[in-house]
Amino acid sequence: MSTAYNLSASPHTRDGLTTQRIMWTVVAALAPVTIMGVWYYGFHAFLVLLVSVATAVASEYAFCMFCRKPVTISDGSAVITGLLLALSLAPSVPLYVPLCGSMFAILVAKCCFGGLGKNFINPALAGRCFVLISFSSTVSSYKVDGITSATPMMTMRAGRAVSITQMFLGRTNAVIGSCILALLIGGLALWVLDIINGDIVLSVLISFTIFLVVFGGQGVDPKFLLAHLCGGGVMMGAFFMATDYTTSPVTRPGRILYGALIGILGAMFRVFSSVPDAFSYSIIISNLFVPLIDIFVVPKPYAYRKEAMALQRGEPKKNLLQRIPVPVMVLAVITLVSGFALSGVFTMTKSTIEEQKLLANSASYQAVIPAAQTFETDDDLERLLSEVGGDVYGSDFGRVTINSAVAGKDADGCLAGTAISVTSAEGFDGDITLTVGIDPEGRVTGISFTALNETPGMGMRADEPAFKDQFAGKKVDAFVLNGKTESDANIDSVSGASTTSGAVVNAVNAALDFYRMAKGGTQP
Amino acid sequence: MVGNSFRGGVHPKECKERSRDVPLRSADPKGDLVFLLGQHIGTPARPVVKKNDPVLAGQILAEADGFVSAHVICSCSGTVKALEKRRTVSGRMMDCIVIQNDGEYRCTGNWDKRDEFTALRTEEILSRVKAAGIIGLGGAGFPTHVKLAPKNPQAIRYVIVNGTECEPWLTCNDQLMRTNAAEIADGLEVMLALFPNAEGVVCIEDNKPEAAAAMQKAVSGRQKMRVQVLPTKYSQGGEHSLIRVISGIDYPADMLPADVGCLVDNVGTVYAIGRAVLYGEPLLSHVMTVSGDAVSHPGNFWVREGTGFRDLLEAAGGLKEGAEPKKILAGGPMMGIAMGSLDVPVQRNNNGLTLLLTDDNEAAEKQATACLRCGRCLPTCPAGLLPQMMAAAYEAGDLDRFEKKLYGMECVLCGSCTFICPAKRPLTQMFRQAKAEIQTARRIRAAGGEK
Repeated sequence: MSTAYNLSASPHTRDGLTTQRIMWTVVAALAPVTIMGVWYYGFHAFLVLLVSVATAVASEYAFCMFCRKPVTISDGSAVITGLLLALSLAPSVPLYVPLCGSMFAILVAKCCFGGLGKNFINPALAGRCFVLISFSSTVSSYKVDGITSATPMMTMRAGRAVSITQMFLGRTNAVIGSCILALLIGGLALWVLDIINGDIVLSVLISFTIFLVVFGGQGVDPKFLLAHLCGGGVMMGAFFMATDYTTSPVTRPGRILYGALIGILGAMFRVFSSVPDAFSYSIIISNLFVPLIDIFVVPKPYAYRKEAMALQRGEPKKNLLQRIPVPVMVLAVITLVSGFALSGVFTMTKSTIEEQKLLANSASYQAVIPAAQTFETDDDLERLLSEVGGDVYGSDFGRVTINSAVAGKDADGCLAGTAISVTSAEGFDGDITLTVGIDPEGRVTGISFTALNETPGMGMRADEPAFKDQFAGKKVDAFVLNGKTESDANIDSVSGASTTSGAVVNAVNAALDFYRMAKGGTQP
Repeated sequence: MVGNSFRGGVHPKECKERSRDVPLRSADPKGDLVFLLGQHIGTPARPVVKKNDPVLAGQILAEADGFVSAHVICSCSGTVKALEKRRTVSGRMMDCIVIQNDGEYRCTGNWDKRDEFTALRTEEILSRVKAAGIIGLGGAGFPTHVKLAPKNPQAIRYVIVNGTECEPWLTCNDQLMRTNAAEIADGLEVMLALFPNAEGVVCIEDNKPEAAAAMQKAVSGRQKMRVQVLPTKYSQGGEHSLIRVISGIDYPADMLPADVGCLVDNVGTVYAIGRAVLYGEPLLSHVMTVSGDAVSHPGNFWVREGTGFRDLLEAAGGLKEGAEPKKILAGGPMMGIAMGSLDVPVQRNNNGLTLLLTDDNEAAEKQATACLRCGRCLPTCPAGLLPQMMAAAYEAGDLDRFEKKLYGMECVLCGSCTFICPAKRPLTQMFRQAKAEIQTARRIRAAGGEK
């Protein structure tokens, strides 16, 4: 019998889970959102993904060869970085964007700091920030079919509602990895498989939500909160980026603290700043706190904790209530009290705020329906608003949203006209919001702008009577810009501002269409 | 009802099916028997025989030397062949007494008359335990008569009998409880006589329902003892883990179980205490499992102390046809000791021989990557330590942080963190090294202080 037995210190058995298997499981978990992204955004999105992943892997390979280090690409971590970077880019970016981003992510953020397990910020996010700063206008323009338009986050910032269903299905104009459903499937699978840490995910999402409830100005409004949770990379951040092993703390209290930091920073940027990519920054900033957290948040072993030491001294065991530390109880009471106070204040002021809004709009309502004395909500209009409000209104009118619709009543309480507020996202320089007045016969009584930020001397001239008054007093199915044949429907463009004029005409047509639907007609 | 578990722990493959239902049988060796003088914790025993002396099974070969020490007792009849250094399980050469076995196993007594222990005074019980040469059979090998004499016997609230057997592959305690439940309960009754305020708790993992049922039957009708079934999880049988589960107290490494009113002994030890006090029988043999994927007929055996591991393997039918084990372990794969050779003697605190065709550690070295900081090691630690940070501190050479900030000396080397690590880092190995370095530094400091 040969006696060349292996000698080694215990333990002599190991679990089957390896670094490689973890990384490839994460890649698999990203597959649903990747597939959804390519399916919805098309071939160019696929190219962006391909370039990003290939560059990431090639960069790591090149770095390892250059430094004469063992090649580590088979562990799959570079693939994850490439994937995450591409998923957080707009589908329409030129291919040099993922190329540069991936190279920066792998070479600078990861390899230069020691590679896997040593980098201090999330490489994918570092790469994303790098391209955001380097090619800011290219990267932040989101195009669908060649037309630049607003992302759900931009729409929300403009104070308008977005469709949560569309966000859930990833059918919005956002980054490649924007399908919330697919992200949730992958993320929850990783959670169930114990690959990612649920403490961090929960901590991020809960603190983000709490901050929005308290400071978001809408209280506990599920639609508002859901829209924020589904937009702007919160889900991808919480499940796939905040949970990155290397750039998150290792202890449980540390992880909860870290998650809370991300959530609060993310929500704070959402509420108080105008940066659209705030959630990435909140994760990166929190990454920087990780070494600090790992130094100061070090839980003691069980035997050295207060409770255990009391038991060691033979003191009787405390009951559950006594075991809750006093500061925790105090904090809980403060939180409860201030929570109630805040929600109380919000409910009390809510109606006042509504009135203010109505008052601000009433000037424009009045301008388009001079005959009206009061403006009221109308059941038919409200029902239709709740169905289509917030969504892009049909495809025939460009990216147009119906904001509100009210019925104007004259002194006798009879219907004097309907005022409909519409926003088009296709102005030359941002959103155009206008109110259209329509009398009971379906005749346009006038239009009035509430938001117009076009080029002075050009697009801004849309607000001059020469253009505006072309709509008044006409009863048509739809207006036509610079029509060839002689017709009531023809509108002459403001010279040198065809984009603005087109957006206005589309907005008015959308209002007319909405009005017809509300009055029982069908959409043409 | 399954009780609570300790915090932490892992679930390695149990691998117990090959031997769990194989009844205990004795494995009498043919070759020489070798007895270590210093296999227990404490001062090595002092030899009382000379070369060529005739000896009988049950005869004292070496006497306890000092307070913390234990007798070495011959387990066969024959003649003293040599007093010399021999290679042992740990790989070190240690002082041993070699007995030429005449194969007749003549004994110094019959040990078949049962005494009524209730008449015995504490001193008498302890002296019988000491005379039987009993040391902790669970692993550490602490002299049992010392453990049974804490400063304040009144303060002991729990006598915990460890029948958890959480180590993979091993099944000998399972079989011992199935077949000798009444004797184990007897042993516990003897121990409880020493501690008026204590309750006896037999702890068994829920993967041993037959043993639990047998013990349940044996303790029913007896005063102040019960069986506690615990969930199957590795390091359940650790002393700290059991005390935490039964008494609810976490205690640091520099305290003894007795300081928190507990006392833990392996089922094998409790069985031996019963035999020693009631029948006067010395500890000649104990139970061991021979298993592993390289063994042809795995089983559970009564093994005489001093038996060569090679004889033990023969008793289990030797190796499988054509099998070439990569690794042989005294004990199981989590805390067992890898041996370089089968030609070493069995010690009283060995509980198994595991022969494995594959070596996970060898594979792990190939799969090793940098630490991912995934944090999987943290929740597995039964002591609530932070293995990831401890390893980082050790690698950075910061033993001060390891010891003071991270409480590294609390590590019991259970191996759970290393088992779970996906980056296959040798954590337990680092901690063993770090602890040794810190202890050496302490000794040097202490010696320097005396000068």
